[in-house]
Amino acid sequence: MAEAREIAVQIDHVSFSYEGADDRIVALDDVSLTVRAGERLGILGPNGGGKTTLLKVMLGELQPQAGAVRVFGRSAKEARREGLVGWLPQRSGADLAWPLSVHQVVELGMSVRLGPFARPKQEDRSRVESALELVGMLDKQDRPIGSLSGGQIQRVMIARAIAPRPKLLVLDEPTLGVDVRGQRLFAEMIETLQHELGLTVIIVTHELRTVAASAERIACLSRKLHFHDAPQGLTPGVLAQVFAHDVEGIFGEVHVDAHSAEDCPDSAKTHDHGCGCDHGESP
Amino acid sequence: MNTITYMTELGDLYWPSVIAALAIATIGGIVSVFVVLKRLAFVGQGVSHAAFGGVGLALALSAMIRVAFSQALIATIVLGFSVIAALVIERLGRTRPGRESHARTDSAIGIVLAASMGLGFILYGYATRHAPPSAPIPDLESVLFGDILGVRWTNAIVSIGVLAIVSIGVWWIRRALIMWSFDEQAARVMGVRTERIASVFMVLLAIGVVSAVQLAGIVLATAVFVLPGASALRVSHKLTPVFVLSITISIVGTLLGIVLGFELDWAIGPSIVCVQCVLYALCRAFGRVRS
Repeated sequence: MAEAREIAVQIDHVSFSYEGADDRIVALDDVSLTVRAGERLGILGPNGGGKTTLLKVMLGELQPQAGAVRVFGRSAKEARREGLVGWLPQRSGADLAWPLSVHQVVELGMSVRLGPFARPKQEDRSRVESALELVGMLDKQDRPIGSLSGGQIQRVMIARAIAPRPKLLVLDEPTLGVDVRGQRLFAEMIETLQHELGLTVIIVTHELRTVAASAERIACLSRKLHFHDAPQGLTPGVLAQVFAHDVEGIFGEVHVDAHSAEDCPDSAKTHDHGCGCDHGESP
Repeated sequence: MNTITYMTELGDLYWPSVIAALAIATIGGIVSVFVVLKRLAFVGQGVSHAAFGGVGLALALSAMIRVAFSQALIATIVLGFSVIAALVIERLGRTRPGRESHARTDSAIGIVLAASMGLGFILYGYATRHAPPSAPIPDLESVLFGDILGVRWTNAIVSIGVLAIVSIGVWWIRRALIMWSFDEQAARVMGVRTERIASVFMVLLAIGVVSAVQLAGIVLATAVFVLPGASALRVSHKLTPVFVLSITISIVGTLLGIVLGFELDWAIGPSIVCVQCVLYALCRAFGRVRS
């Protein structure tokens, strides 16, 4: 049963604002969320809805102004430094001009915390190869990283994230600009990774298709958390609340009627939808 | 006077210069790969120009208290000034998540470079007017373009020491340094203290640049920390070969520059830089033909 599983991520009443030129820009407003070990959670929300900020808070990159974050019972920074968290950023900041092979890029992710005199062990090398195999890049391990396509680089970066065997894998907009077939293949790969490595996976995206294909549970975020449950419970009303007028652009077949945002009380920012009303067809 | 004459008849002038030049070339070969890939070439420029502020400060202090400073003391003041300048550039250019940077790195370099040069000229002018006869002021040309023949055995030994410090420093933090340079945001998430790595690298770069000032002068010192790495990256896409090539190109370019300088009576520093530029053009052409 899901409830009996270890809590991977516990976010309690987290708020975060960025300092703007003249005022503070609220990115997260009193967000609470629980992710259990082994779960595949999709965080869905519009651009600028605070998804990446929430990830950075989970990674300990940003310190929330209010609330607390625990990752496997530790502070976010501790969990990150202990190698419990693997991360695929929205845009890879990697400088592809570096003369590194695919194997070296993944190995560097494992060896970066080693002391100056330590050398990577044989076991670490095996992990690098098995990570590359899982993402289907083992045959290209000797190629320079700069010679790969965008999709291949993303796979290498996923291999780099999973090679140290983290317990939590966080993916930020992993299917941005990827076609439908690519999204399906990606969803299959994530499912394989989860089963093979027993990972907890958090996927942040604004693409409903990615979430529907990859996640077991969904959290809808637009500064506040509007919904947190199985995808079957996600209704056009919730999406209207999260995406405002953009819903039809996201999936045109959904008709948003008047019975939408106004009917979903703000209290829906709890772990459950909390609305209790029938919004019609689920996506 | 040609190279052979210098080697045989003026060995005390020739060998310290060559040894210091080779040590500095090796430092340049190692550090330039990071400088090029992390796009820090202009930072090197800023730091080398900051050295002029340090030179001005050392000479003005000497003139003020009317005591001739030893070369070691002057070098220490210059080094301290340049290290502080490098750290100020790093600090001003740093971008923190969720906060705006005080200034972007290029603006930070522009500010520090201009401030150091301005201060340097004012203090140098003060020193030329007030220096006691016992503390001669080096001519401006040698400060700006280098005076490798002014290098003595002490300087050569200091250069070897600097090579040891920079090599060991880079080797010690090599994995974090490559990770920081390759993918800074991922490095941070992986637990690398990127700000600390950036500061350590800036200090190593500043030490290297200041030692290169005696070879190529303030204006050209940064070339030693750009050209070898840029050349090597045109020829190879593999990590170890790139570093080996960069060091080799740097040493070969420096030796050729020295020989050309002696044979054709060119200034040694500019001669080395010109040879390095030619080697870069050749590497670029080779890379193009091969690809």
